[in-house]
Amino acid sequence: MPNAEFARELDPHRGYLLRVARLQLRDEALAEDVVQETLLAALSGSGFSGKSSLRTWLTGILKHKIVDAIRRKQREPTAASAFGDIESEMDVEDIDAMFTERGSWDAKPADWGDPEAALNQRQFLDIMEVCLEQLPPNTARVFMMREVMELETDKICKELAINANNLWVILYRARMALRQCLEQNWFARNGGPH
Amino acid sequence: MIRKALGHILSCKDASRLVSKREDAALSAWQRLLLGLHLSVCTACARFERQVHFLRSAMQRYRQ
Repeated sequence: MPNAEFARELDPHRGYLLRVARLQLRDEALAEDVVQETLLAALSGSGFSGKSSLRTWLTGILKHKIVDAIRRKQREPTAASAFGDIESEMDVEDIDAMFTERGSWDAKPADWGDPEAALNQRQFLDIMEVCLEQLPPNTARVFMMREVMELETDKICKELAINANNLWVILYRARMALRQCLEQNWFARNGGPH
Repeated sequence: MIRKALGHILSCKDASRLVSKREDAALSAWQRLLLGLHLSVCTACARFERQVHFLRSAMQRYRQ
């Protein structure tokens, strides 16, 4: 029987789970579904041991639900268009454009000073979320799978039917783009040593 | 001088790609050597490396 008190404890995490699901699925209805499934599983499951934080535990459940959802979606005939063209995100043309012909930085990364201080600011995490949303869909998805869901690289390759080289290119793009976005929207504006 | 010579062997583009790849896979001994040399003389790529590590901690914070 679902425990009403535990349900109330789960509720504040709903928004976070939804944002994480949206970034990976780029499908509002599907994201709502997996979050619903996650919360139901959390309520009826074998329980939260308290060893990790509640959010980390919920993220672990969400991970499985998202992988299932991606599998289901890939079986649909419209799958390719649903997630956009992953092939185009394996192309390095946009990354090449960040360097000169001889391979030097076109715009050198700036000194971010002590970036860890930003981690305690809510606004910084909001900016980071905007930066994540601006990534190409599959790039955001792969980066979230790797860094938030902490899936192993071979598992991600298997689920998305891509090879390791493709995965490295996609993660490289994600890091280059996020770095640039954070620099332009946060570190160049907030107390960076400029 | 050293910087320039190293740049011919491993450009900043190559170095940044290896910095990212190292987060997800093991590099060969040769790649590790070239990257280590490059990072020791290139401020821009050394910053990129620190920023990539910072991204990892930022994503961990995001999850908490």
